[in-house]
Amino acid sequence: MSQESSRSAAMLEVRDLRARIDQREILRGMSLTVNPGEVHAIMGPNGSGKSTFAGILAGKDRAEVTGGSATLDGKDLLAMTPEERSVAGLFLGFQYPVEIPGVGNLYFMRTALNAQRRARGEEELDAVDFLGLAREKMKLVEMDPAFMNRGVNEGFSGGEKKRNEVLQMAVLEPRLAILDEIDSGLDIDALRVVARGVEALRSPARSTLLVTHYQRLLEYIIPDHIHVMAAGRIVLSGGRELALELEKKGYAWVDEEAKRGAFGAPAPVAP
Amino acid sequence: MNALEQSLLAGADGLEPAPEFVAAPRRAGREGFERNGLPTTRQEDWRFTSLAPLAAHAFERGDPAAPVTAAEIERSAGMPFGPRLVFVNGRLRADLSSAHGLQPGIHASSLRHAIAVSPGLVEPRLARTASIEWRPLAALNTAFLGDGAFVHFGAGAKGGVVELVFATVARQRPAASHPRVLVLADAGSDATLVETYVALGDQPAFTNGVTEVALGQGARLDHYQVQDQPSSAFHFTTLAADQGPDARLSTHASALGAAISRSDVTARLSGEGAEAVVSGLYMADGRRLVDNHSVVEHAVPRGTSRELFKGILDGESRAVFAGRIRVLEGAMKTDAHQSNSNLLLSRDAVIDTLPQLEIYADDVKCGHGGTVGELDREALFYLRSRGLPLSRARSLLIYAFAREMVDRVALPALRDRVGRLVAARLPDGEKILEAA
Repeated sequence: MSQESSRSAAMLEVRDLRARIDQREILRGMSLTVNPGEVHAIMGPNGSGKSTFAGILAGKDRAEVTGGSATLDGKDLLAMTPEERSVAGLFLGFQYPVEIPGVGNLYFMRTALNAQRRARGEEELDAVDFLGLAREKMKLVEMDPAFMNRGVNEGFSGGEKKRNEVLQMAVLEPRLAILDEIDSGLDIDALRVVARGVEALRSPARSTLLVTHYQRLLEYIIPDHIHVMAAGRIVLSGGRELALELEKKGYAWVDEEAKRGAFGAPAPVAP
Repeated sequence: MNALEQSLLAGADGLEPAPEFVAAPRRAGREGFERNGLPTTRQEDWRFTSLAPLAAHAFERGDPAAPVTAAEIERSAGMPFGPRLVFVNGRLRADLSSAHGLQPGIHASSLRHAIAVSPGLVEPRLARTASIEWRPLAALNTAFLGDGAFVHFGAGAKGGVVELVFATVARQRPAASHPRVLVLADAGSDATLVETYVALGDQPAFTNGVTEVALGQGARLDHYQVQDQPSSAFHFTTLAADQGPDARLSTHASALGAAISRSDVTARLSGEGAEAVVSGLYMADGRRLVDNHSVVEHAVPRGTSRELFKGILDGESRAVFAGRIRVLEGAMKTDAHQSNSNLLLSRDAVIDTLPQLEIYADDVKCGHGGTVGELDREALFYLRSRGLPLSRARSLLIYAFAREMVDRVALPALRDRVGRLVAARLPDGEKILEAA
């Protein structure tokens, strides 16, 4: 297939992505390339469009895509359902994981893993085999096995919910993990656990995209690339030093520089 | 009477002779039905529930001797989990029943038998609790009074379970049956009664049951009704309970099938300190209709009542919930609460929910609540983002909504059965059961 032969080596390729929520432009020409094995961090002030971007990649339908493209391993992400994206190897760690009383956490994770295994033509895991796997991964995120018998995130504290996200990531072993504000509301211990979960998945075949407001997370997970988002697109990209600079100066200067046109002309608003 | 009403009443004049305590209410039922006929939407209690679809069928009284196999009963009602009496078109069928395992102190037989051998027990309670006034269907049932089920939990009988299966069999022609149940729970008894209603055959079945329950002082009864009939069936039940001092009745209905399913529950707390728990789960899709009417009447002080109904509606289905809490003069320290929550899976499904509080006493605590909502979009996205297909994610969330009501079934074997029946009505049903 010509598409196969022409596809780049990039894992995630986002080009000039535009999206709006209720007539308001949230993404205004977002472009990003993540190669296999890389860890990227997107930073930016509140309202810059970070979370919307993460949600759109995972198939959340709140925002309407008005232009541009996004591919995972050369496949058109935007044409896929959320479950197809997941099966294709994309994982979104939620900023606010949803509580689902009545659906058991353990069952949920086994069903999720088996949906993926089935799609890959692999044998499904039975309850016993899955329990063994889950136990191992729970150790990694230092999660009390009692949480597996509760409803999904039901009555979990903020930190427990985030651990549960990382546990799901560890179980599903995605090709591309997008972690949306995974550090928000976490104490140092929990942060360390989350970082360990991310590091455990680090491999030449997998990539991670961290979306965060704070540079604190990046002391625990060292990214290869840092991007700064403002007004719906990436305005600055660099290495680790960029995070330190942001930490010192705050986001105000990014906004001001953006207004001055220091990062180039503002992207034209889509009709 | 119109043709339908005449066909439903046909045969009521040819019943076998019975003692006056049976014959008198029989006459009253017949006269009541002749006078009022079937309910229409002009009646307040039937405002949202039209019985017009019945008119398309010429129901005959179902033959109690209709050929039915044990395998058919097990397929439609599940495997027995204890003593099970099976009634075909309203009459006990010894060939399909087994009283094996019936605990000492518990008696279960046909009502006809009890009328003949224990009139002293039956007479004071038969056709006394289920009023036929304003209840045309109860009147129609009573017009055929004379047989059905009789269950007697003797004083102090503990932990026994009795299961009654009522099969309306409509094989060649549309058939009607009017099952009747009398339950006596004597002082201090503590037992479980399960009523399972099934419809057999390809033709429309019309089932019109009346269950009367009398609870003595301190008696406790867990009562269940399960209805999972095909969507060609019409199902009506009237449950009327009278509770003595400190008696506790818990009645839980699972109304999952039938074209029209209507339940009327009346619990009268006539002894101090009595408690009634009335709950149910209903599901409807297509153009089906399910209607739950209940009246909890607090007649004396210190009564407690809890009502909780949950419904799941899809397609162009319609549900009615009307719950009336009536606190009579002098019934101080009454504590009553009622709640009705609904999950609407389609924009064309309709719920009419009507809580009614009638309070004529001081110093009471009464309240009601409830919700009408759709599937949680955030939760749906969360599940799908982990790779669960949309249909599976939906079924999981629907089952999660229903689960609270399935879990209210205390009897493990019945809980499993109800859980399976609920799941079977959802895509990928057999797979989501493990989620619970």
